[in-house]
Amino acid sequence: MASYRKYLVERTLTFIISMFFSITIVFLVPRLAPGDPIKTALEQVIVGGGSEIEKTVEEYKRMLGLDKDLATQYIFYIKELFRGNLGYSIMYFPTPVIDIIMRAIPWSIGLLTTTTILSWIIGTFIGAIAGWRGEGSRFFNILAFIALGLYVIPYYIFAVILAYLFGYIIRIFPLSGGYTPGLMPSLNLEFILDVIWHSTLPALSIILSSLGWWFLSMRSMIINVKGEDFILMAEAKGLRKNRILWKYAFRNAILPQVTGLALSLRNVVGGALLTEVIFAYPGVGYLIFTAITNMDYPLIQGAVLFLIFTTCFLNFAIDILYPLVDPRIRYGEE
Amino acid sequence: MLSYNRLERRASTLRRLFTMLFSNRIFTLGFTLFMTIIIISLIGNHLFPQEFVRVGNFLPNQPPNLEGHLLGTDSLGRDITAQLFMAVLNSLQIGLIAAAVGTALGTIVGFMSGYKGGIVDSILRIVIDAFLSIPSLIFLVLIASVVKTVDVWSVAMLLSMFSWANPARQARAQMLSLKERDFVYMARLSGMNSWEIVIKEIMPHIFAWMTANFTNAVLWAILTESGLSIMGVGPQGEITLGMMIYWALKYVALFRGLWWWWMTPVFTLIYLFISLYLMHLGMDEVFNPRLRNKGG
Repeated sequence: MASYRKYLVERTLTFIISMFFSITIVFLVPRLAPGDPIKTALEQVIVGGGSEIEKTVEEYKRMLGLDKDLATQYIFYIKELFRGNLGYSIMYFPTPVIDIIMRAIPWSIGLLTTTTILSWIIGTFIGAIAGWRGEGSRFFNILAFIALGLYVIPYYIFAVILAYLFGYIIRIFPLSGGYTPGLMPSLNLEFILDVIWHSTLPALSIILSSLGWWFLSMRSMIINVKGEDFILMAEAKGLRKNRILWKYAFRNAILPQVTGLALSLRNVVGGALLTEVIFAYPGVGYLIFTAITNMDYPLIQGAVLFLIFTTCFLNFAIDILYPLVDPRIRYGEE
Repeated sequence: MLSYNRLERRASTLRRLFTMLFSNRIFTLGFTLFMTIIIISLIGNHLFPQEFVRVGNFLPNQPPNLEGHLLGTDSLGRDITAQLFMAVLNSLQIGLIAAAVGTALGTIVGFMSGYKGGIVDSILRIVIDAFLSIPSLIFLVLIASVVKTVDVWSVAMLLSMFSWANPARQARAQMLSLKERDFVYMARLSGMNSWEIVIKEIMPHIFAWMTANFTNAVLWAILTESGLSIMGVGPQGEITLGMMIYWALKYVALFRGLWWWWMTPVFTLIYLFISLYLMHLGMDEVFNPRLRNKGG
């Protein structure tokens, strides 16, 4: 337990340092950048200009505390962060950034949790069968080759190709958005089906690209386990092949897969930014994209910081919780 | 005489390394695919005049034809073949610079951490872990969106900021296992100082590992550049594979039937990823003998 305590301290330090570093950079970058981002952004929004713009810029700077020196601003910024205040959006002035992010979050989490778990299940089961059949089966060798291809190709490439195939060539899925415009978001069957229909292509792009890895890792785990003595014993006892695979080999090979699943859950918020952009899916990724096009710096800053925080926090939480679940995990490297 | 021998020894280490690599079929295939596209792009880029990629130079939206535009033109009136050659070279440049800086920096930091040990190691390890846990794409999106006028060079520099942590972690582990070996004790006893030991004795041992890591870093950098460009914060004034996809998406090439526009960069990226991954896979097989004769 002493080594776990040391590990816990180290992990906590890492988490605090990465957050501190991120907050500092997110704070500094727009302030050190050439030009006046707020003015440029406001000039885009407000038509007319002249003294009105100057006044708005001044007012906005006062609201953000930008009229004070850097150190005071920094302390103010961190204080506000702890209160959950990420500033105000320019595009949707005066909506607080955090409110806009909170509207987008369920879409991102919903899409990624579903796809991560689905691709994990599919990849693991097919991988187990492929590993059990071994390297003699031609069909499964070709499958392994395809899986390697899927693993190498990034998800946004799939997104582009899928959008073309099923959005333009065969028009069976909608090309953008999270639900049909005009439909009221509510928990009835019609709305849920509409959301699923809109999410199919984005989901497919993520499933395809992560499927390959789950397949390959499960396959090689099963191939390893197959050489173990207890499998030989089970065969000697005359157990049915299927029973040996699912009750013996599978159960022993599944643990690293579960670890992998737990580790991949850290990306559950920010792991599909580009798919969201390509399909105009109303998650955080698309939010950042529209914020960039509209030069809404407070929104970009807030959303980026939010994503960094959730990813680092999930990372931290998984790191400290997992050794408690699986005592075989080593703490650190020593 | 002594230094001559050492040179000789190092040269033969390198030669042996290359012989081993090229006797691996997967590596050779990946390397051939990779070199092919580079050579074609170098020649092509040299042959095509600069005007071919200038906006409004040709009739827009021409499908591929044999009368001058093998891959057609885009909605901005630029020749896509000429763009492709330029994009491959630019993307590759980004990949190579980011990978070189990242691997070099990472190796130095990792070595320092592993070699010194103690408090330096503890601090560096936590910093490395912190960098590894920060989602790099999101971070880079923020910086690039504020800097705005990024070019090929600055994108490469931005990517290097995040490509050093992974090699650093691995270099540290390598150093920890190497520094206790007999030949390092021997060198220390013979009066070499730390840096001499690292460069002359330890470097040759991890050269193989560094090459494999470098390939991986190139792949990562090209992938992230495309990601940044699609998010709209790539090098807007220049042509990279990512920027080609960005413009194609921006002008809705996907749904206007301009398949030649978006397919060119997309399939080139797939080609590049596969060739680089094959090289990496081959290196893994050669350098990690444990992986040989094993499935997966």
